[in-house]
Amino acid sequence: MALQRLSGSFSGLIVQNSSKILQRAFSVSVVAAAIQKMTRVRVVDNSSLGNTPYHRPPRVIHVYTKNGVGKVGDKVLLAIKGQKKKALIVGHKMPGDRMTPRFDSNNVVLIEDNGNPTGTRIKVPIPTHLRQMEGDFSKVLAIASSFV
Amino acid sequence: MNQRVSFSNQSESKDSNPTSCLDSGIFTGAERVEIMNVVGRSRKLVSLLCRSRGLLEQKCVFRAARSSALHQQGHHATPPLRSRFDTQRWCSGDSDSRLLGSTSSQELSLETDHKNSQIIPPGHGYSETFNLDVLVSLLRQENAVDLCVIKVPEHIKYAEYFIVVSGISPRHLRAMALYAIKVYKFLRKDGDPNVKIEGKDAEDWMCIDFGKIVVHFMLPETREVYELEKLWILRAYDEQLMRIPPEVLPEDFMYDMEITK
Repeated sequence: MALQRLSGSFSGLIVQNSSKILQRAFSVSVVAAAIQKMTRVRVVDNSSLGNTPYHRPPRVIHVYTKNGVGKVGDKVLLAIKGQKKKALIVGHKMPGDRMTPRFDSNNVVLIEDNGNPTGTRIKVPIPTHLRQMEGDFSKVLAIASSFV
Repeated sequence: MNQRVSFSNQSESKDSNPTSCLDSGIFTGAERVEIMNVVGRSRKLVSLLCRSRGLLEQKCVFRAARSSALHQQGHHATPPLRSRFDTQRWCSGDSDSRLLGSTSSQELSLETDHKNSQIIPPGHGYSETFNLDVLVSLLRQENAVDLCVIKVPEHIKYAEYFIVVSGISPRHLRAMALYAIKVYKFLRKDGDPNVKIEGKDAEDWMCIDFGKIVVHFMLPETREVYELEKLWILRAYDEQLMRIPPEVLPEDFMYDMEITK
């Protein structure tokens, strides 16, 4: 059922897109980054804050890097359930270096201010090149159950 | 105090190997054990003694001790120490990962049985490299509570050994971590990467990643919360992992299709 809907809407889009592009009144910028402000992210650990349903998905409100772009291993500030929480990026949809994994969703692990992870287990695969990066990732790697 | 004075006298004369002075029959058996414990636990004391005589720097003492130990007695004492660790490691018999647990009673037996191994200041062992034996012995000597060494199976390309240690207080953890770093820095050769303490500002959980070995220093309460040993032994069958409810995609979920405005 979902597939039929998909194929129907997809073909419709292709037909309509070409005419719409010439008409649109707004400017479109190129995708700039992997994770930046206002991106919706997926929390992948088993913390209660990340897993209880809320009517708004968790969004990034600040990226702690020099430019506002977050890649794997960068800390970000999320707005979850009406509160602010720091988190660590463990995978994004944008292709990175060669021989580094690319994920289908922007994954994030919640972290306290002192660096301890909020959840106790991570089911989603975590990239192993985190280990070679500068930063405190051993704790997140210690609670991960599978590596990529 | 007499005993201590004569000890530093011995180190003054070219023979700065602590083992030889203890063997030379100056001290009785009980005094030997006492001094060994003293020497074993506080290198600072030894250096203080030496400095009070206006002598050798700390490093010179240790280097001399190390080199002489290597040539003279290291080879005798190494096999017993290593084999003891080996048998403990391999006899627990799990298929995936091996668990090496130790209690305080084992620590005592180690000290009385292998006297010679404790005499030489810790961390220099009998080999010049910082390997698992060195690390475990220095953790034991620092009165680490609940030392747990897990051999990580080969197919997990993370590390070879995973160690979890508890401490009595945050200060104890910090002291153990700093001491381990100190010993590593002393024993490493050119080309080995530098190692830093991760989680320095979190007082209840600190880690050090030595390439092949990863050590976690936690307080007992934190250890209860995270249960790292369970995870790393039971890998996929861990209790907390099984408790995470499996993720169910909603019916109308479409892969890779973003509905934009």
